[in-house]
Amino acid sequence: MKQAGSNSETFSLKSRIKRFLRDNNRWSVFTLAIVLFLALPIIFIGVELFAGPGETWSHIVKYLLPEYILNSLFLVFFCSVLVLVFGVSSAWFVSRFEFPMRRQLEWLLILPLAIPSYIVGYAYAGIFDYGGTLDLLFRQWNIEFIRVDIMNRAGLAFVLSISLFPYVYVSARAFFLNQANNLLEASKMLGVSERKTFFKLMLPLARPAIVAGLVLVLMEVLNDYGAAKYYGVNTFTTGIFRSWFSLEEPETAVYLSALLIIIIFALILFEKWQVRKIKFSSSKSNSTQIQRKESSGVQKGLIFIMVFIPVFLGFVLPVAQLLYWAFLTATTVFDLQFLFVSLQSFGIAIISAFITVFFALLLIYFSKWSALRFIKNVARVGVLGYAIPGAVIAIGIMIPTIALDKWIIDVLGQFGVDSGLIINGTLIALFYAYAVRFLAVAYNPIESTSLKVSSSIPDSSKVLGVGNLKTFFKIEFPLIKTGVFSAVILVFIDVMKELPLTLILKPYDIDTLAVKAYEYASDEMVMEASIPSLFIIFTAMVPVIFLNKLLIKK
Amino acid sequence: MKKILFAIAAFSMLTACGSDAEVSNNSAEVELTKEQIVNVYTHRHYEPDQQIFKMFEESTGIKVKVINASADELIQKMKMEGKQSPADVLITVDAGRLGRAKEQGLLQSIQSDVLEKTIPSHLQDVDNQWFGLTKRARVIAYALDRVKPEELSTYEDLVSKKWEGKILVRSSSNIYNQSLLASIIANDGEAIAKKWAEGIVANMSRSPKGNDRDQVKALVAGEGDLAIVNSYYIGKMLNSADAEEVATAKKVGLFSPNQEGRGTHINVSGAGVAKYAPNKENAIRFIEFLVSKDAQQIFTDANYEYPILESVAPTADINAWGEFKEDTLGLNKLGENNKKAVLIFDEAGWK
Repeated sequence: MKQAGSNSETFSLKSRIKRFLRDNNRWSVFTLAIVLFLALPIIFIGVELFAGPGETWSHIVKYLLPEYILNSLFLVFFCSVLVLVFGVSSAWFVSRFEFPMRRQLEWLLILPLAIPSYIVGYAYAGIFDYGGTLDLLFRQWNIEFIRVDIMNRAGLAFVLSISLFPYVYVSARAFFLNQANNLLEASKMLGVSERKTFFKLMLPLARPAIVAGLVLVLMEVLNDYGAAKYYGVNTFTTGIFRSWFSLEEPETAVYLSALLIIIIFALILFEKWQVRKIKFSSSKSNSTQIQRKESSGVQKGLIFIMVFIPVFLGFVLPVAQLLYWAFLTATTVFDLQFLFVSLQSFGIAIISAFITVFFALLLIYFSKWSALRFIKNVARVGVLGYAIPGAVIAIGIMIPTIALDKWIIDVLGQFGVDSGLIINGTLIALFYAYAVRFLAVAYNPIESTSLKVSSSIPDSSKVLGVGNLKTFFKIEFPLIKTGVFSAVILVFIDVMKELPLTLILKPYDIDTLAVKAYEYASDEMVMEASIPSLFIIFTAMVPVIFLNKLLIKK
Repeated sequence: MKKILFAIAAFSMLTACGSDAEVSNNSAEVELTKEQIVNVYTHRHYEPDQQIFKMFEESTGIKVKVINASADELIQKMKMEGKQSPADVLITVDAGRLGRAKEQGLLQSIQSDVLEKTIPSHLQDVDNQWFGLTKRARVIAYALDRVKPEELSTYEDLVSKKWEGKILVRSSSNIYNQSLLASIIANDGEAIAKKWAEGIVANMSRSPKGNDRDQVKALVAGEGDLAIVNSYYIGKMLNSADAEEVATAKKVGLFSPNQEGRGTHINVSGAGVAKYAPNKENAIRFIEFLVSKDAQQIFTDANYEYPILESVAPTADINAWGEFKEDTLGLNKLGENNKKAVLIFDEAGWK
């Protein structure tokens, strides 16, 4: 390492480079390498941006863009409101109060995530349809059924919120469970009312955790294609597909994705900015778990209802509809092969979850150990993949991997070996794509828990001469375990239901449940899609319950 | 201790799965050299297709390997894979996409007397790059209790005042709508096509949403009097597991428009041999098999499509709607006019 050795700290490029060379350590280099690896597909898409949009751009701006922007803003706003109401209230009640079936509801609240949102969309349409479930029930009771049209913008906001609020629930609950107790005790001792404690103390403190969850939700909302298309709501993402496939202009699609990325990046910066503004760390509170309050019977009942509503709307109701459809179609669709496909999906999802979480951990900790501040911001570039439609990422993955494949073919060809595509069409490309796409899902919960670990603990360990890695495994990892396991589960669930990427990149012989569900749904066989969808839900339930056991034992 | 156990379990799972994948990859490579295969990129995600593929495997010993995705994604995939693409056959559910694949140089011309003889000339590519396999008609479904078929005549008539607020149709992002408009462009010219799209938008009873089945449900629910749909979805509804859907489908009639003139708009689901097909001979045999009598019978019996082979009768469900005159417009035109159609849809405000 070089000594800067000058006292004129001007902000000239020269001194910056000098400072970079001085403070640069191997962790900075590692971080940059990983970011580059994960951002490669995004960079390839970004490069296309300089080519500009295609010739229909003015057509799009004139006829379509206003609607895309308006609808996307509408969704962002209303989904935020709904998701916060469902996610934060349930997290608070579950962490703070004792009530009937609390333990079951605690993990049931995560499960709405396990149903692909387009399937939730189909289920709700099926419930409110002509000849749908409600219609039939009302007919049985001889009541005139007033059809509620759910297939519109508001309905879409509802469907997306009810299937995505668990992101906020999971991160808010992790905060309430592990961080809130000391403050709560103090507030109680000072005689502050329960309500005031929540709104004046807990809510502001939980903000970073809540917003981290919310950003994930909004990325997914902006990225939704299936439900928006079915409900006839044109958004940025439906626009990307329209310009790519209907207008036959991939460059315009890429341009629109890039605009979307800029919006998401603004959201992320906003999140960072607001976390910094509140600058806090509750260092000592890791040891005690929140004490749950016993309340009166009526209150218990009310709380139960409050917590049950999101579970009912996001899980029970759509699953009931799916079960009904499954019952109708079981004889034609059910096949023992589904068990095998379930195992395959499970294996792929669990491996990708570990790979993705591993990358997230590397990024978070390497950038922490790097002495350069800007590295931390660079690390965040890696999470942008979540905001980009899966189909676009697939293209971003194929550009570099096919180039590499062709190079390998050329090299081996000189030795007379015809290798074919080695990376494309194999699991390697698929795992790589999942890591790129879902890094944010792993990154956010780990980062928000790691922020709460006071830096004094690892610092003192390092003062004692223990290395970064050893400190991490002995001291930090046990403290952020909750976040890491949440990350594994969330990525697992996301991979289970992932569709466009999987369709484009999957090997011939591999099938996933999401692909099976899509095959039916895309051919308007929504009822038949219910069985693979239910398999997704049940397979996803296994690790959710497992994670919850871990959380509670802690 | 638990943690360690967990880590070990996780690790062993990782390695176990990893090595499994390797083994299967290796064995796949070995098989490649021994076994005859055909790699199929298909947009048709229908169960009956699996049955047909199995029949092909049994009768020829050639193994069928399938990648399912939408035609757009498959075309993009083939484009990126270039010369290394493993694809032998591309199957789509509309002629427009086949035209696009041809335009982008992803297909090749093939010689096959069987295909040449079996498939009517307007349902195959002029350069023999793709071939229709089954037909679907885009027709007008009407509410039996509110509309008399005599009131209906042509697609063009749908824009007349009497249907104001009565027409149900799905989004313009749907390829069948794009093909319909492309056929109107080809038959009547762009100016009339634009007027037509604007007229339909003015007559819509609601903003476009849902799929074809949803249009039929809305029709019966009284949200509109007419719906523009593909006939085979009605066939599927009539055979649905849900008694309610069957009842719904029975309340609508189907009208084949433009019988006095050019005939009803039809589209095909079709196939082409990929430009860099590693198994070209197998690919041709495969497509030939798809127009064989047995395969065609399954297409119509189980999927309610119109067979392309004249000697096979359409299944009873769709035969009940009677024979109709088809528009014999060369389907190449659909692909050529597709983009124009989409632009017109946007200008007309057809969501």
